[in-house]
Amino acid sequence: MNSADTKKWYYMLPIISIAILLGGWMLVAQGEGSMIPTPYATLMRFLDICVHPISKAVLPVHMWMSLKRVLIAFVFAIVLGIGLGVGLGWSTSFHAFADPVFEILRPIPPIAWIPLVILWCGIGELPKVVIVFIGSFVPIVLNTYSGIKEIDSLLINAGLVLGANRRQLLTEITLPATTPAILAGIRTALSSGWMCVVAAEMIAAKQGVGFLIVRGQESGDTALIVACMLVIGVVSLLLSTILSKLEGVLCPWQFSKTK
Amino acid sequence: MSEDVKVKVRGLTKKFGDLLVLDNISFDVKKGDFVCIVGPTGCGKTTFLNLLVKLLEPTEGQILIDNEPADPKKHNMAFVFQEPSAYQWLTVEENIQYGLKIKKYPKDVIEERTKEIMETLGLEAVRKSYPHELSASLEQRVVIGRAFALHPDLLLMDEPYAQMDIKVRYYLEDQVIKLWQKTGSTVLFITHNIEEAVYLSEKCLILSNKPTTIKEEKKIELPRPRNIASSEFIELREYVTSQIKWW
Repeated sequence: MNSADTKKWYYMLPIISIAILLGGWMLVAQGEGSMIPTPYATLMRFLDICVHPISKAVLPVHMWMSLKRVLIAFVFAIVLGIGLGVGLGWSTSFHAFADPVFEILRPIPPIAWIPLVILWCGIGELPKVVIVFIGSFVPIVLNTYSGIKEIDSLLINAGLVLGANRRQLLTEITLPATTPAILAGIRTALSSGWMCVVAAEMIAAKQGVGFLIVRGQESGDTALIVACMLVIGVVSLLLSTILSKLEGVLCPWQFSKTK
Repeated sequence: MSEDVKVKVRGLTKKFGDLLVLDNISFDVKKGDFVCIVGPTGCGKTTFLNLLVKLLEPTEGQILIDNEPADPKKHNMAFVFQEPSAYQWLTVEENIQYGLKIKKYPKDVIEERTKEIMETLGLEAVRKSYPHELSASLEQRVVIGRAFALHPDLLLMDEPYAQMDIKVRYYLEDQVIKLWQKTGSTVLFITHNIEEAVYLSEKCLILSNKPTTIKEEKKIELPRPRNIASSEFIELREYVTSQIKWW
């Protein structure tokens, strides 16, 4: 296979995989009383909820509500997560002080916090944002911390010999060297945040895609459930693409041509 | 202390636990000298340079630069490590300028030095490239440029060409001599390659096996440019080699 053919083949592969998914889906959705909606029924339901409101809101509004919760929590998770990760990785005394508490809290699944957070914060917007924050915060802390721990000591030594002070070693050497690891943490945090928002909305919400999925379950509307699931997937893909572009801006050296 | 002594080492001893690595080493390096440090593998050459730049603390003894305890923050020093240590997030140009910016040189000096180093080391074509886009030898040239851009009073080089093929090594050896002559820096250059040591240095410090002491300070009084095929060169090379032999 020459290089042009190989290129074509690589373009074809994603199309083939999606076609197989759709074909398999159509196959299992056939037949009387199937609990799985056909792709066509799902598409029709999607178009329907885009114009006909459920709980006083159309799908884009539900989507925006979920997205808003994720983004607000995400901003706090990024700021506090990077801050804590840097503290744990950079300062030995802060690590000794804070790490045991973090290690105890870290393995608790974010969803396990839902009942407590609802008791503490009620059923408004705050508890959902708090749950998403808990889910996004941990991956950012862990990646920032391990990024700093794994930095090549040669880079630090080179800075020390050039006369860099502690602040310069942190801001001009350690943080730029750790940026790819932090961004990888942010990417993980984003999918974790999405998972949490849907879970939080499934328990206590009047708007949001998680709420729509529960509504679909309560009314046996499988097309609604699948349509919402696909929308979540597409929005995640879009966010991930935006993050990749951001990575290109923040770490141009990672994306420049290789030797 | 004599006016023209740049580095004064007295009774330098370094132990790692019970392992005695450097044993009561004393010597002087004159201002503007090019000194190569040679010795058997694992004798503590790198430990010595690390002590000089305070990456390690000595167990005993003193290292004075310009009659003051060595300190990279106070003294104008630079270090070229064996492995390329260019900052991957900075372009070639920004890497060259980094040390100058740390030391807060004025903008016009930074521009002037960058131009000088780029021209001398032939880096103009890759000015805006990132280190990972370069070959290992070109990346090491960037690191050497970053060090020389400071016009350091004292430049320490730890086997900087150990991973280069012979052609590139010859080229870079000539580049370093050119920069040394231009900037007047004092250079301490570690190598295990005796030919390289005789080709580059004004003086060879020959170290013994561990626990390391200075076996001999050998002056290399050959005219430059040096001819590695000349009988005087070969004689000196063989002499230094014979001094290093421990078998």
